[in-house]
Amino acid sequence: MIGDLAKYWKTAAMAATGYLGDSPLFVIDYLVRLLRVIVLLAIWRLLLVGRAPIEGLTLPVVLTYTLIAEVFGPQLSPRTNLEGAFWEGSIVGRMLQPLNLFAQFTAEAAGKWLFELCVFSVPLLLLAPLLGVQPLPASVPAAGLFVLSLLLGISVGLALDFVFGALLVLLQLPLWAISQIRNALTTLLSGALLPLALLPPAVGALFAWLPFASMASAPLQIYIGKGHTLALLALQIGWSLALWPLAHWLWQLGRERMVSYGG
Amino acid sequence: MVDNPIVDTPTPSVSAIRGGMLGRILHLWRMYAALDLAFIVADLKLACLYIVADTISSVALVTGMLLLSERFAGIGPWSQLQVIFMLGYATTVSGVLNTFFGYNVLMISRRIGRGQLDHTLVQPQPILVSLLTEGFTPFSGSATLFPGIGLLIWAITGLALPITAGWLALFVINILSSIASVLAFSFLWGSLAFWAPRAAEEISSSATQLLDQLKSFPLDGLAPLLLGGLMTVVPVGVVAWSPCRSLLGIDQAPYASWITPLIAVLMSLIAIFVFRKGMHNYERTGSQRYSSLGHRG
Repeated sequence: MIGDLAKYWKTAAMAATGYLGDSPLFVIDYLVRLLRVIVLLAIWRLLLVGRAPIEGLTLPVVLTYTLIAEVFGPQLSPRTNLEGAFWEGSIVGRMLQPLNLFAQFTAEAAGKWLFELCVFSVPLLLLAPLLGVQPLPASVPAAGLFVLSLLLGISVGLALDFVFGALLVLLQLPLWAISQIRNALTTLLSGALLPLALLPPAVGALFAWLPFASMASAPLQIYIGKGHTLALLALQIGWSLALWPLAHWLWQLGRERMVSYGG
Repeated sequence: MVDNPIVDTPTPSVSAIRGGMLGRILHLWRMYAALDLAFIVADLKLACLYIVADTISSVALVTGMLLLSERFAGIGPWSQLQVIFMLGYATTVSGVLNTFFGYNVLMISRRIGRGQLDHTLVQPQPILVSLLTEGFTPFSGSATLFPGIGLLIWAITGLALPITAGWLALFVINILSSIASVLAFSFLWGSLAFWAPRAAEEISSSATQLLDQLKSFPLDGLAPLLLGGLMTVVPVGVVAWSPCRSLLGIDQAPYASWITPLIAVLMSLIAIFVFRKGMHNYERTGSQRYSSLGHRG
């Protein structure tokens, strides 16, 4: 068991260090994220200053929500390098390795998260006072439940990633077109960019039931101490239980149909 | 025999070439339009999927702000319809860029980083003509344009703007300037690929992604220093926010309509200067990582 974990740890470590060696211009992506969070914070101040709480959300709470959404951005919208492996054709090599396919890609994603945690997430948290944001969770229990909810959200997100990957193979869909649709919908529906409670009520209520909301909106609501924690966790568990068997089944179905010739 | 748009398109006559650059560009646009139509007809399902993907992603990019303005009946000094106008403007800018600068012309760092610029350099015409025409995809690339125009019409109708010839001229000048600014920003960063072909291969997409992600936000609440940076260093403000403020009369300063064109000219000059520097470097080094991938052949 420990030997197995060590193998995946190596994958994660390679992914983390590969970031630096591959392209020193990776900092631009972090600049984008920093600018986005600064602009979003300014917009919330413009919209909510002097207003009564909306659905229990005050301005400071929304600012915390926005900052934490960016700090944990990659975990709230988890993506593996599955699409990249399809595109490069390296998926073939991955399938030959004596490692579980899902675990390989997950370990690789986790390695990148470790790197991002050090170079972006922690510095952004430290910058919070300068940005005028109180970054702490609503309470100590909220912090603990947030960690649990975040793990469940990652589980839902990764399951969705493998479901989409399997569908690309099964339906022979164009990779970048589907990826483009998925990126756009995830940003809008997950609540990572805009809290669902601040959307028109009917729209927000509808989005809250979708698996995308279990990835981001649920943990973030728990962090700021809003929403019904048990119901949110139950929904996350439900989506996780529904999506992982689906992902496994679709991969079993599509494994023999995979054709790859490099990108 | 299958029609081949390349073969069937007549070779430009000497008189056409003598007709000047504009004639040549129009001729090439017609040819690339035929090629684009051929791409659609060759695999209708695939083409439809790409068009749907473009439409969904462009609409989703602005839907968040649209829903927010619906909930709050506007954003700051912007009324709901004014927000819709800005979102339409931003989407139209992206639509024109996608229509005219597809096939990695906008994402120029990919062509440079992959050594594909050689495809352009071997052609018997100025590089400017190639870059202005090769990415013309009026059928497969215009999916973003229509939602943008739709939003603009919706907003203009609702706002009952006094549309005069002068206003229309300013609108066209500003939208062309916004397009030029995005293009210049992409080329400016993309030129890095001349010196760092591997590391900077995707830098144009990172740069345009930055503008795409922030273009639909009203920037009114930002501190002056940051706002200045977002109007010049990272010109998010000129993609839609600043020109729309002047076109809608939110900013009534007499010079407001000329801020975006001025920035566009400055940015273009800087981009041209840096790109030429990069080309001079490329003349000496060439590319060691040539990949034919991603170029219509």
